[in-house]
Amino acid sequence: MDKARRWAVAAGAVLAVIVLILPLVVTSSFALDIFIRILLFSFIGVAWNLMGGYAKQLSLGHAAYFGLGAYTSTILQIDFGISPWIGMVAGGVVAMLASLPIGWLCFRLRGPYFTIATIATAQALMLIFLKFRDFAWGAEGTTIPNLGNAPLMMQFEVKWAYYYVALGLLAIGLAITYAIEKSWMGYYLVAIGEDEDAAEAIGVNAPSMKRNIYMISAFLTALAGTFYIQYIYFIDPPTAFSFNISIEAALVSIVGGIGTLWGPVIGTILLETTSTLLQSWLGSSIGGLQLTVYALILMAVILWRPTGLMGMISEIYRRRHPARAKA
Amino acid sequence: MLETVAQAVINGLLIGGIYALVSIGVTLIFGVVKIVNFAQGEFVMIGMYLSFYLATQFGIDPIVSLVVTMPVLFVVGVLVQHFLIRRVLGPNDMPQIFLTFALSLLLLNLALMLFSANYRTVHTSYSDEAFHLGGLYIPVAKLIAFVVAMILSGALWVFLHTTDLGKAMRAASQNRDVATLMGINPNRVFCVALGIALALAGAAGSLLMPFYSAYPFVGQVFVLMAFVAVVLGTLGNVIGALIASLMMGIAESLGIQYVGADSGLIVVFGMLLLTLAFKPNGLGGGRVR
Repeated sequence: MDKARRWAVAAGAVLAVIVLILPLVVTSSFALDIFIRILLFSFIGVAWNLMGGYAKQLSLGHAAYFGLGAYTSTILQIDFGISPWIGMVAGGVVAMLASLPIGWLCFRLRGPYFTIATIATAQALMLIFLKFRDFAWGAEGTTIPNLGNAPLMMQFEVKWAYYYVALGLLAIGLAITYAIEKSWMGYYLVAIGEDEDAAEAIGVNAPSMKRNIYMISAFLTALAGTFYIQYIYFIDPPTAFSFNISIEAALVSIVGGIGTLWGPVIGTILLETTSTLLQSWLGSSIGGLQLTVYALILMAVILWRPTGLMGMISEIYRRRHPARAKA
Repeated sequence: MLETVAQAVINGLLIGGIYALVSIGVTLIFGVVKIVNFAQGEFVMIGMYLSFYLATQFGIDPIVSLVVTMPVLFVVGVLVQHFLIRRVLGPNDMPQIFLTFALSLLLLNLALMLFSANYRTVHTSYSDEAFHLGGLYIPVAKLIAFVVAMILSGALWVFLHTTDLGKAMRAASQNRDVATLMGINPNRVFCVALGIALALAGAAGSLLMPFYSAYPFVGQVFVLMAFVAVVLGTLGNVIGALIASLMMGIAESLGIQYVGADSGLIVVFGMLLLTLAFKPNGLGGGRVR
């Protein structure tokens, strides 16, 4: 191990310890709430990034899977008394299965028209859940029955427990991304993202690759949906299928660095911190302020740093260590 | 029975004229510049607010305020092309999709901050007037909007087919590289395309104002309609977008009549998904295999 690598490992270890003991040191429920949001949206971004970042299939419809996960576990819990821990996995499977017909439709299109088709499918799902009130409470939604401290039903009286659940989800998402990045699949996906026709010409089975990564991405997004609903104790179609979920999933990845392991995490930290600071300075009463600022950050990144913050970091690293970067 | 259908068709056709103005803009930008403008609906919204303030502050009739909204949005379009879109044209999809998407997000939320989420309406002398033809009911405001929309569409067609600049735009949309070799300045042509498309969106906003409320999210309804119509009518094809928009208007109106008042959007999404499932090759420039 050379010196730089030793430093990186040490820094990583210190960071890991900080992340692990953070809720024991910071006990303010306001701060914990922000940390949980950061972990959750990082996880959603990581799930999006698998498909949008590596394979460059730019979806703006991941709310579909977030909502399906949320509704599956909630219906199982309220109508059948099944624990959301099981419901979470069931929701993931439902989302995975739903991604097959949705993918079949949307993958017929490329580029911007793929994006529009994904928006339409997520919106259509939301309208379905709004309209058919008998099987999912319609537009009114429902509250999740509060059982007090029931870890087996994913309900906790202490906020830090949610922190560790969200942290666990993010760790799973990052581990899966890392494994895929280092495997043949990762290279195939990047090849598809660079030029789909060329990738097919050298023998990559693009349709099957895209289908598989879409299934994984949908599965993970659905887990986030279940967790979020359990965290806020309420579900209705505009919350579960919120277009903002789709936007933020893509946004944090692009700002942080599309197609990189840590990009979505860094992007979420930047965006969520910005939004928290804005709210504490200006008050939360100004509707539209948060998304205005997000939009400005997104435009700035696209115009000046299309590789995101991760691209910036590696550029600085290359400038400081030109010899190592060449090797 | 027949009368109900005829009435629904008329309602749909009249609003379809507005959809056409938005769709023609989207298809023109896609045809010439090869990008999808996600923010097109927000320019309709801007047109509506412009007309609203001209009407309430200066007493200018919304239809007359076309002469302000169209030039203003033309200039905005040129600026958007020159300072934003020009910088992301290239082989990469991501910046193109998310630049106009970010623009849409920005304009929408700025409007929310500036104008609040309240609905704004302008009441004109003809807002409640209507012709009665047999048992049919034709609102004057919608009829004016439809007629002006058709005149503007026709004028665009004439422009594209008879003027040098129009021909240059069509050449650029057929083959950008060859057009450039023939001495066509692509950025100039792109600026004009964006200008015209946004001017049409502004016109749609002004024409809507006598019978429709302005609110920050209003553009989203129209842009979704436009995306579907542009897909149905083959991307980049002005006449195709026009016909498809009128069809969409009629389909939506029949959906509201026979499925329920809140099912307009369901019909739209249904049409988009059905098109994708069964007629993906009708999607011309959608780069479908």
